[in-house]
Amino acid sequence: MPPAFQNATDCVIDRAAHTIRFVRDLDAPPRLVFDAWTKPEHISCWWDATGARLESCEMDVRPGGAFTFVSSGKPDHVFSGTYRTVEPPHRLVFDANGAEGRLILAANGEGTRMTVEIDCKTAELLDHYLEVGVTAGTSQTLANLETYLAGQEAAAA
Amino acid sequence: MAIESLPQLDLIFSAMGDPTRRAILGRLALGEATVAELAQPFAFSQPTISRHLKVLERAGLIEGGRDAQRRPRRLRLEAMKQAADFIEPFRREWEQRFDNLANHLTTMKPGEE
Repeated sequence: MPPAFQNATDCVIDRAAHTIRFVRDLDAPPRLVFDAWTKPEHISCWWDATGARLESCEMDVRPGGAFTFVSSGKPDHVFSGTYRTVEPPHRLVFDANGAEGRLILAANGEGTRMTVEIDCKTAELLDHYLEVGVTAGTSQTLANLETYLAGQEAAAA
Repeated sequence: MAIESLPQLDLIFSAMGDPTRRAILGRLALGEATVAELAQPFAFSQPTISRHLKVLERAGLIEGGRDAQRRPRRLRLEAMKQAADFIEPFRREWEQRFDNLANHLTTMKPGEE
């Protein structure tokens, strides 16, 4: 069966390679997607899963350069690391939190097939990441519920 | 998700870490199927498919159906759910992020530098 990625993200956990892999098809050419990942004015708009704009975003996009993303209203929620490979518009590799992140962009017709790999290097770190993901996902769910309930209350008032 | 359940998850995730086995699971999501039916879309022999089926069975992801003659295989939804529950919040966070990216890309101009 051919995989269908349209507007959906294929997520595979490869425990042998302790890697989490996401594949997503996007309706924009690789150069644009690469810009969206490597320019602060763009990544600030989409990085935070809640949709909030990043509070601050510093990035020195070259091998050995550092990056620090701070989420809005959550000063302790910092994502920082170091770029390892910068090959526009197809490849970006960075280290963060003990894992290696790999962005691979392949032309796919008019668009891009984007592969994001989180290589945890050890099974222990992979488990830890998933545990953290579970925690983060739970708090996100609660936040969504709060928003939903607030909307219900406003509608009832 | 309790840490004690990780050994089973190890089996589940390593079983799912193979494109042929994921395709088999995809086929079985449509309904039960025999080894011959499962082998059909692949350029593999039935023994190769049987070997993949053993890995999936050991992980508890599939089981033999009731018909002893044809021995159709079907999904074990409990195991699939166990794996899905574990991945789901993590996957959802990234999917949300990629949705944001897809939306943001529509606001970027192709000539923009």
